[in-house]
Amino acid sequence: MRRLTRVTPSRLDAALLSRAVSSPRHGAVASFIGVVRAVHAGRRVKAVSYDCFVPLAEKELARIAARTEKRWPVRVAAMHRTGRLKVGEASVAIAAGAMHRAEAYAACRFVIEEIKRRLPVWKKEHYSSGDGRWLSGCALRGGHR
Amino acid sequence: MKRKIELYGRLRDAGHGSTVYLDLPKAVTARQALSALKAVFGSKGSLLQGCALAGSNEILTPSDRLPEGRLAILPPVCGG
Repeated sequence: MRRLTRVTPSRLDAALLSRAVSSPRHGAVASFIGVVRAVHAGRRVKAVSYDCFVPLAEKELARIAARTEKRWPVRVAAMHRTGRLKVGEASVAIAAGAMHRAEAYAACRFVIEEIKRRLPVWKKEHYSSGDGRWLSGCALRGGHR
Repeated sequence: MKRKIELYGRLRDAGHGSTVYLDLPKAVTARQALSALKAVFGSKGSLLQGCALAGSNEILTPSDRLPEGRLAILPPVCGG
């Protein structure tokens, strides 16, 4: 079965991801959903724009899922949103199915940390005061992994 | 030859829009391309600190030759 990983401008469907990693052999499905929040560093956030170098992000997300499935006996699905999102909208969704909860939780955690370190995505917060700012992030390292 | 470099994140607000064009020799490394890019950015060259050049498949190391196809300069990432 083909692994589900995608970068998309469309609304994320967490249930779709959970279904994609479900199996009669799996006793656990863990999920993580990252959501745009209303306050950051004391400032009122109206929306967040997600910029993305899509061709590389699609490949990197697939690589992250593959590495996760190599490390734990899990099936992983993940999607990241692009474009301008309002407060409360999901920016990232991950699901991991496994025989037991420990691997499912660990896999979910690993995927979101890897996304934050490696996925070519940038976010700009738009504040209720009318201004905005690109958030600082994690420098990418070149080379094949 | 002219190569188009796509700009992302904070680099989009540097006054060049979403792309810059560099005049580069045919066989050029990522390090050389980054130097040329710094010259284009001029006084805003510090925005390129921590940035990496990438093709559609991989982040490039400084000694990698520029691949064919799309090229992008990527600031530190903050997805999620």
